[in-house]
Amino acid sequence: MKGKCYIQGAAAITPQHTFEGDLLSSPLVSGAGNMLSIVEPDYKAFIPANSLRRMTRLLKMGLTTALKAIQDSQLSTPGAIVTGTGKGSLQDTERFIKDIRQYEEKALNPTPFIQSTYNAVNGMIAVQQQVTTYNNTFVHRGFSFESALQDSLLLLAEGVSHTLTGAFDEISAEHFYIKSRIGHWKTATVNNAELYHHLSPGTISGEGASFFVLAAAPTVNSYACIAGLKMLYKPSPATLTAALSAFLAEQQLTVDDIDLVLSGRNGDSNFEHYYTHMDASWPSVPQLPFKHLCGEYETAGAFALWLGAHIIRAQQVPQQWYPFQHSFPGRINRILLYNHFFGDQHVFILLEHAVIPGA
Amino acid sequence: MEELKKKLKVQIIEALNLQDTKPEDIDDNAPLFGEGLGLDSIDSLELMVLLERHYQIKVEDPREGRKILQSVQSMAEFIQSKQPA
Amino acid sequence: MAERVFITGMGMITAIGDTVTANYNSLRQQQSGLGFTQYLDTMYQGVLPVAEVKHSSEALSEMAGVPHQPEYTRTTLLGLIAIQEALQQAGITQQLHTTPTGFVNSSTVGGMCDTEKVYFDIIDPEKHGDFLKYIDTLDCADCTQRIADKVGITEAVTTISTACSSSANALMYGARLIKQGVLRRVICGGTEALTRFTLNGFNSLKNVDKQPCRPFDHQRNGLNLGEGAAYLVLESESLVRENGSQVLAELSGYCNSNEAFHPTAPSPEGDGAYAAMSQALAMSGRSLQDVQYVNVHGTATWSNDLSEGKALERLFGDQVPPFSSTKPFTGHTLAAAGAIEAIYSVLAIQHQVVFPNLNFSEKMEELSIMPETRLLEQYPVQTVISNSFGFGGNNASLVISKYEG
Repeated sequence: MKGKCYIQGAAAITPQHTFEGDLLSSPLVSGAGNMLSIVEPDYKAFIPANSLRRMTRLLKMGLTTALKAIQDSQLSTPGAIVTGTGKGSLQDTERFIKDIRQYEEKALNPTPFIQSTYNAVNGMIAVQQQVTTYNNTFVHRGFSFESALQDSLLLLAEGVSHTLTGAFDEISAEHFYIKSRIGHWKTATVNNAELYHHLSPGTISGEGASFFVLAAAPTVNSYACIAGLKMLYKPSPATLTAALSAFLAEQQLTVDDIDLVLSGRNGDSNFEHYYTHMDASWPSVPQLPFKHLCGEYETAGAFALWLGAHIIRAQQVPQQWYPFQHSFPGRINRILLYNHFFGDQHVFILLEHAVIPGA
Repeated sequence: MEELKKKLKVQIIEALNLQDTKPEDIDDNAPLFGEGLGLDSIDSLELMVLLERHYQIKVEDPREGRKILQSVQSMAEFIQSKQPA
Repeated sequence: MAERVFITGMGMITAIGDTVTANYNSLRQQQSGLGFTQYLDTMYQGVLPVAEVKHSSEALSEMAGVPHQPEYTRTTLLGLIAIQEALQQAGITQQLHTTPTGFVNSSTVGGMCDTEKVYFDIIDPEKHGDFLKYIDTLDCADCTQRIADKVGITEAVTTISTACSSSANALMYGARLIKQGVLRRVICGGTEALTRFTLNGFNSLKNVDKQPCRPFDHQRNGLNLGEGAAYLVLESESLVRENGSQVLAELSGYCNSNEAFHPTAPSPEGDGAYAAMSQALAMSGRSLQDVQYVNVHGTATWSNDLSEGKALERLFGDQVPPFSSTKPFTGHTLAAAGAIEAIYSVLAIQHQVVFPNLNFSEKMEELSIMPETRLLEQYPVQTVISNSFGFGGNNASLVISKYEG
């Protein structure tokens, strides 16, 4: 993918204290079992009570994160809203399926149906911010957020001043059980802080919302530059290696130019071989995983981007989140993110320090 | 009638999750939509579900519903008119 | 200068036909696909008309070339049948690998048609069996990946879900990928199977008609749901020249806009519809006078037709070209609607016809315009606007133009 963009605003609601507080001092939230849940902020500070009363969890989470990202950017109303979600509002979908059965298809509340539509969050953001321009929602598992990012890069190249780009997914107890039946999660309970010590079938589940305001040109407030994006569908290990070389070559870079690899590894022995294979491509580059912070879900890559952007801006890793790590890179100007979702959707994202104009 | 209206207010608050509203805050004749409680067309569908679930009254046409759902008073009158004397 | 985007293949299956040609014949013969469902398990079986594809899922699996594989949901099967026709028509067989080809699919509820039958078994720890295969078909990506894998698309896949405008947005996204040189060929469209979930959903909004829907009629009383799938092969102008592909039409303009008004209702003056149509037309470089036909969204809900009609009057003044909703033929096929109607727009240009708006008798009092109720033949259709509007205020308009070299 050609084209670059700059992260001008960012916000995330995750199982860590990412929404409020200081990244470098917020303690690691751990030990909650195999289903990580978000730290809920006070939604009332962002959404009027009259709007809040009907909204379910994912809608509140998505809308609030979006509004905070816009606020953080200090920019005017975005010229487009583009999002990704793997599952949409599970709570509403589950409720409507059950209502159909319980009330035998009669006198059903419309709200769960309306809110179960995958573009419900986008519609709410548009109404709240009065954004009447481009609006799109991608729903493709581990490509959901990344497709939204690609769409945003196209929009910026087409002349849109700045986009609101984000992702959201939730997990419910019921859905956790459903996915456990096809082996998505570890059978033994693990502490997320020790996730990578337990290489066994399955991983831990997670959830979260991450939003960004993206612009074509940098400013003094830019977090970082998204310099490249590559999605690969069901690649072979050899294809992955070749794609990485081509991806870096496009930027006139080699692996030696990368200061840090953010890796999506998640302790799942069924799919660990992709990460092990790629380790050979960057043998001497420091690596940090992130799934112990957010759990596994379709749009976890959006959280990784949030994390990477903050690391580049702070030039520092939140070391308290890495009790198992002993050394950290000093200078961090270039981060390569590699993630995949249960082996099918693989993504490379290149993040760079934003070069400030005139500096 | 007074009992019915009291009951309706509790049911409306529950159905629409009007967390900060108490039954006594709702005036019998105050408009439920627009100005009044600030309800919208989705709320009106939710209130029709309420009528059907609790009072076995089915309102087919949403536009007809809007007239019935003008206020607690109009809802109560409609329910009474539909119930066998 | 960005490349032009051409349509070089089309495939579809709806309640009025299993192929593009069969659809065209039904449109000409004014044969609606509405009736009562044979395959959906619902208490509204004999109450709410739907436009169902007239084959069981078993029969569809034979047609799709994947018999006896229950993990292919009805959504996937419809999509597979449509995409195979599109590839065949475009003459694409082995070139899928030589020319990197993308796939932008869309769906509103993915595999719900099959998972809703076994959902309560899936969540019951006491139950075990074959139904566990359906767990991975719950989401919208499942149908996309199974379709891609079956026809051999490996380069780029994604799925869009913006309610009733989904496949119009898929076409738009594919065209933009081509214009910016990311891909040279993208197959775009959508697939949607009837489900108890969506039927009850729209019924809970009290906008499903118990009679065949009556778009733009004063007495209209809601929509009928339908099912189907449609895909269009989009290619860059340079690829068309290199391969000597046959061009069916040009996707000359498009616009995605949002109402920012209400979760399910459009603004009464049709602001979003007006913006989508006028900006799509501006992009196409065509003028108002160049438009001979508008395939309207026309769901026959009270609010859609009012707002879309107002937008047509605002845009065209007293020169509104012939317009019709084809929903009385196909029902509202949700995510698939935009691609189905894009194909109808191409057919209107190819055959120089305007399709009739069925079931219309009484003019809406709020509007001065009426839909076209006759089949207009030998009508000089050069440019068509196709509208798809949806929940969440998502509006999309496409401009499809005759290929003139």
